[in-house]
Amino acid sequence: MKKRLLLLIVAVLATMSALAGCGSNTPADSNAANGTEQGGKTTEDVKSFNMVLRHIHIRDTAKKSLEILQQTVKKTESDVPGLTFVLDGVEDAVNRDVKLKAEMAAGTQPPVFSLFGGADTRNYSKAGRLLPLNDILKELGIADSFFDLREFTVDGQIYGLPESGYIEGFFYNKKLFEQAGAKVPTTWDELVSAMELLKAKGITPIAMGAGSGDGWVVNMLVNSMFVALGGPKLQEGFATGATKWTDPAVIETFKRIQMMVEKQYIDPNVLGLKFPQGQANFYTGKAAMLFDGSWAVNAISGESSTVKDDTGFFRFPDVGGPGDGYINGGWSNGYGFSATVKDQELTAVKAFIKNFYNQENQKRTLIETSQIPSMKGISDVQGANALIQTIGEAQGSAKGAFPAFDSLVQPKVKVTLEATMQQLLGGKIEPEKAAERMQKTQDEANAESK
Amino acid sequence: MNNIQRNHWAYAVFVVPAMLIYVTFYLVPLFQSLQYSLTQWNGINDPVFVGLDNFAKVLTDDSFWISFNNNMYFVLFSVFIQVPFIILISIIVSSVRRFLDFYKLTVFMPSILSTASIGVIWQFIYAPEAGLLNQLLRTIGLEHWTRIWLGDEATAMLAVLLTNSWQWTGFYIVLVLAAIFAIPKEMLEAGEMDGATGWKKAWLLTIPLIRPVIVVTLLLSITGAMKALDIILIMTKGGPFGSSEVMASYMYKQAYTLSDFGYANAIAVIISLFTALLALVFHYINVKTREATE
Repeated sequence: MKKRLLLLIVAVLATMSALAGCGSNTPADSNAANGTEQGGKTTEDVKSFNMVLRHIHIRDTAKKSLEILQQTVKKTESDVPGLTFVLDGVEDAVNRDVKLKAEMAAGTQPPVFSLFGGADTRNYSKAGRLLPLNDILKELGIADSFFDLREFTVDGQIYGLPESGYIEGFFYNKKLFEQAGAKVPTTWDELVSAMELLKAKGITPIAMGAGSGDGWVVNMLVNSMFVALGGPKLQEGFATGATKWTDPAVIETFKRIQMMVEKQYIDPNVLGLKFPQGQANFYTGKAAMLFDGSWAVNAISGESSTVKDDTGFFRFPDVGGPGDGYINGGWSNGYGFSATVKDQELTAVKAFIKNFYNQENQKRTLIETSQIPSMKGISDVQGANALIQTIGEAQGSAKGAFPAFDSLVQPKVKVTLEATMQQLLGGKIEPEKAAERMQKTQDEANAESK
Repeated sequence: MNNIQRNHWAYAVFVVPAMLIYVTFYLVPLFQSLQYSLTQWNGINDPVFVGLDNFAKVLTDDSFWISFNNNMYFVLFSVFIQVPFIILISIIVSSVRRFLDFYKLTVFMPSILSTASIGVIWQFIYAPEAGLLNQLLRTIGLEHWTRIWLGDEATAMLAVLLTNSWQWTGFYIVLVLAAIFAIPKEMLEAGEMDGATGWKKAWLLTIPLIRPVIVVTLLLSITGAMKALDIILIMTKGGPFGSSEVMASYMYKQAYTLSDFGYANAIAVIISLFTALLALVFHYINVKTREATE
């Protein structure tokens, strides 16, 4: 009897473990569930295959971008017999910082995925995970069609293609400017007097939310200011040691930010607000200016905005420095492809690039999603949002563009500048000390990267 | 049944699955963490062995020590403010006759909410302009008391500590209440006849009798304080300028913002060692005080 009981227990346990194993033995299921499989052939039809496409268009504001992607996917599926794309939408920060990073470490990245230029592309290409695209671009005849592929290029090889671009500058509320009697500034002195006039009327001159983890928000303004004062070469030299954070242009920038805080030109609640809250203070008419990237157009023209028809844009005003006339802009987010794709999958990748990166989609990017195209040659902008047209003009009239400083320095330097600028906003550090700390961090980071 | 105990195969059937899970999800990661803590590794390329460099770096890293101190505040706040408050409220509620279930439910409610929701709710409460707290202060004429609670170095950590206590106090109160109700009535009645009433009864009878539950509450509060991460990430992300960082959030930042997985693993090892040490000290104090009272 006891033996039987024992046998019964063993049998039950064996059945349970066998059943538990079943869950992960069906490739089709796991493919759909975790989205990291590289696709495979089903037994019924050897020609049909799945490919995972990881994108980041999951927000309500990105509906139009998703629509463009979905249509491209459909077209590509009809071009490549047997191909089925599995769309895998993941939140951008989660994909960039956690999911894709882990997959890259293990070598299980999906065949097509959202990719950032700069350090991400450099690291992944070094590990041999990214597909070089030079030959494909030549074959498709679009090798020279992009505005700027610098952020996706490592040692002459192109590893990614930007979906759209951005520029940064001041958005301003025309009505509030009129109320205060301020005019659109073209020089630093004019900006200061505009801020003074606005403040005198009881209007917050600059909306900003740079609290919590959003120290990068103030750095957009800081970046444009030190490049204006010191020229674009200044930031290119930090990581090589050719230039220093203790440069008079950087110290002067920190002093001007300190002045803007003390005179309350920047919202005094800046450290208690996150980026979207700062943005909302502008588009609900509570503040007169917002220093932000062109991606803000969607929020400013969105349903909750009260300033849709009263918003203008101007680039960072001239300061009398070597960087006058330059604008912060770049093309840093797009798609990358796995180095492991072969045969059919490679054909699918080529078809996807051909169908996604073309004039038609780029025009739609500008008109429907209000984003700056990544490819040249869009001349007919009829139907585009008036604000994005103004931004386009600001971009067109600039002497040139410079990339955000964080694509040129080590992540540690970026994070230290965020914390240091938060301290400056909170009145906890002097400009000279801030510059010294930045240089110390830069020296450490440079020593580590050698 | 004795047969099963003597049969090695039966043992294996019961023990091996649990051992496998323990080894795979506990021991292997622990040793891997130790291994990576001795390397410089960005999470993608091959790790480079650097010996004890990461541990040496910890000693001179001011930001790490700020986060270490914040963990200490967390522990001290839990032990000396939160737990006494829990005991006080439990004793008061235990003597209430009417609406007892209502009180229990009300205090327990926050602990069934997710930390994410609680973080967001309290962010609204602490918001500079529209926040409930500042509005309340303005209404009662204490305008000069208003602060940017989560954006001010002086108040950010305290604001998070209060939110964390609000979340967990109810859970512990229900735990302590159950212990109070489990004390035999005869014991309390005998004490009352000997003259122990009111606070005397609470101090001399109730608290010593629920001591085991208080010890568990303290231990859970300490380990909870050492593990704190989610609430910091949601409410302040360690800001402003790293003043509300705790060790776990600092470790997370090193790994996922700075891609310095070697250093992050070294911090993880230090957190584990420190928590073990704290638990040992707590155990020692607990044994000593029990001996002293017995």
